[in-house]
Amino acid sequence: MSSQTSVLGAAVRGTRALPFRLIPRIETYPQVVSFAQTLPGQASLLVVFGALYALTNPEALPLVLCLALITWMPFKRHQLVSVSTVVFAVLVPWTQLSQPVYNAFLIFAVVAIAGVLIWSATARPWSWYGRRPATVLLVGFTVWIVAISTIPWNVFRLAPIWDFTIIFGSYIWFVAYVLVDRQAAPVTQFGLEIGSLRPFWGALYTPFPNGTAYLRRIEAKNAEELAVTQLKGLKLLSWATLISLFSRVWVNCFHGYLRIPYFATTLSMSAHHAAAPWFVCWASLILHFLENVMAGAILGHRIIACCRMAGFDALRNMYRPLSSVTVAEFFNRYYFYYKELLVTFFFFPVFLGQSPRFPKLRLAISIFAAACFGNVFFHFIRNLLYIHDFGLWTALKTFQVFFFYTVVLATAITVSRLRKRKPLPAGFFRGTLCPAFSVCFFYCLLSIFAETNRQYPLVEHLRFLGHLFFLN
Amino acid sequence: MDSKGAIRKYLAALLVQKGDPRAFDDDTPLLLGGRLDSIDTVEIILFLENEFHIQIAKDGFQRTQLDTVNSIDALVRASRPAAD
Repeated sequence: MSSQTSVLGAAVRGTRALPFRLIPRIETYPQVVSFAQTLPGQASLLVVFGALYALTNPEALPLVLCLALITWMPFKRHQLVSVSTVVFAVLVPWTQLSQPVYNAFLIFAVVAIAGVLIWSATARPWSWYGRRPATVLLVGFTVWIVAISTIPWNVFRLAPIWDFTIIFGSYIWFVAYVLVDRQAAPVTQFGLEIGSLRPFWGALYTPFPNGTAYLRRIEAKNAEELAVTQLKGLKLLSWATLISLFSRVWVNCFHGYLRIPYFATTLSMSAHHAAAPWFVCWASLILHFLENVMAGAILGHRIIACCRMAGFDALRNMYRPLSSVTVAEFFNRYYFYYKELLVTFFFFPVFLGQSPRFPKLRLAISIFAAACFGNVFFHFIRNLLYIHDFGLWTALKTFQVFFFYTVVLATAITVSRLRKRKPLPAGFFRGTLCPAFSVCFFYCLLSIFAETNRQYPLVEHLRFLGHLFFLN
Repeated sequence: MDSKGAIRKYLAALLVQKGDPRAFDDDTPLLLGGRLDSIDTVEIILFLENEFHIQIAKDGFQRTQLDTVNSIDALVRASRPAAD
């Protein structure tokens, strides 16, 4: 079907045959772009998008309804994005929650406090808070967590305090982006800010894409840009669907037919001193690494596809990470928007705050601030329920595996950035395949430690690593 | 060479080094267009500091200020001492 479409595209343009593409670049076909600007074209696009989305997600109908409104009323896009975000935050999960009214109340309380923080920073940009609002927000939230988890005041033991904190924690990076955006280039309208607080196209802890200033710059300005952006969205969702189908076959083949255990199982066996044979451990680790790449691609592509359907031409979250030839490049390509978050809130504040007299030291400190400290901070405050259940000190102690992971990662990125790069050797094998394989091998081994579930101490992860190399 | 010319020349060299020889004008979005990434912005800042002897203020800094030749030029002008 894809090749037929590709041939059709070439025929439509009446030019030379195009190179084969699994999913053709439909946004470059003039007739398709013209059709996508008409009412039947937009309706067809929405129906196909909804059908593909429904294959893997039960919330396709409300999503397509929101996208249809945004498509047909582009002059109200900002307001409609905000309304859709409220619908997806409060109404869509209504039947799945045990206390939907309470949940809605907490969300409105969080948004109200976010509004006060944003207004304060905008109204008094010269004040101590107004000059560094995101830093104050992050430090303030940290102090708040320390207070409610360590100070033995009864009021902090109340469940609503923790519930509020957990929901605020899920919004914190979105609020931080709005603060940074308005600090750099304040705008008079306030329509998109609410919509960008956990937007309806995908509400993870990492904002996809980063901030309202970015959204304003990448939104479609006319009908043709909207059509091109939506076609790119459909194409990306097609990729997500293909990868999703492929990963199901993959899982059935390797874990079902060949019975290679999941990484969690081989790690558990190793931790219980009953390690699987070394080749099984290698197989499960390599599968774990590749499955993480596929899962990241499916998730990121799906969210950015929805964002594009809403008229915002955002960059992909993941772009060919396995072809990276340096450690730093892989980090950049693997989870783009998370890396952007670390760079915005940790790397640049540290980098610009240091003297340029020692450039290498300056770069190394900034990389550690982002890839190590920022990485740990992000993941630590993401799981507030663990702190609530086991206390702050236990939560810190049991985070040793992920801390180790970030130290190794930051060291590798620093070395990758600081060492003098020789030109890559010519030829596909030595110039591309070997360096890409080395980088993937490093990240594959590192994935042993990229765990935030605190199940086993660091020594057990090291034991598994040693087992791979016959060291125990 | 004026500051804009120096910036244009540097960005062209940086893009070629990344294997991107495509042309760009003073308003072409290089970051938002995906042609440069955050690693490149570090290189651009180091270039600006060395070339124009400026220190970019961290308060209020956004990488979108490094998106186009014109926005970089505006950042350089804003970061220069008033007497310059």
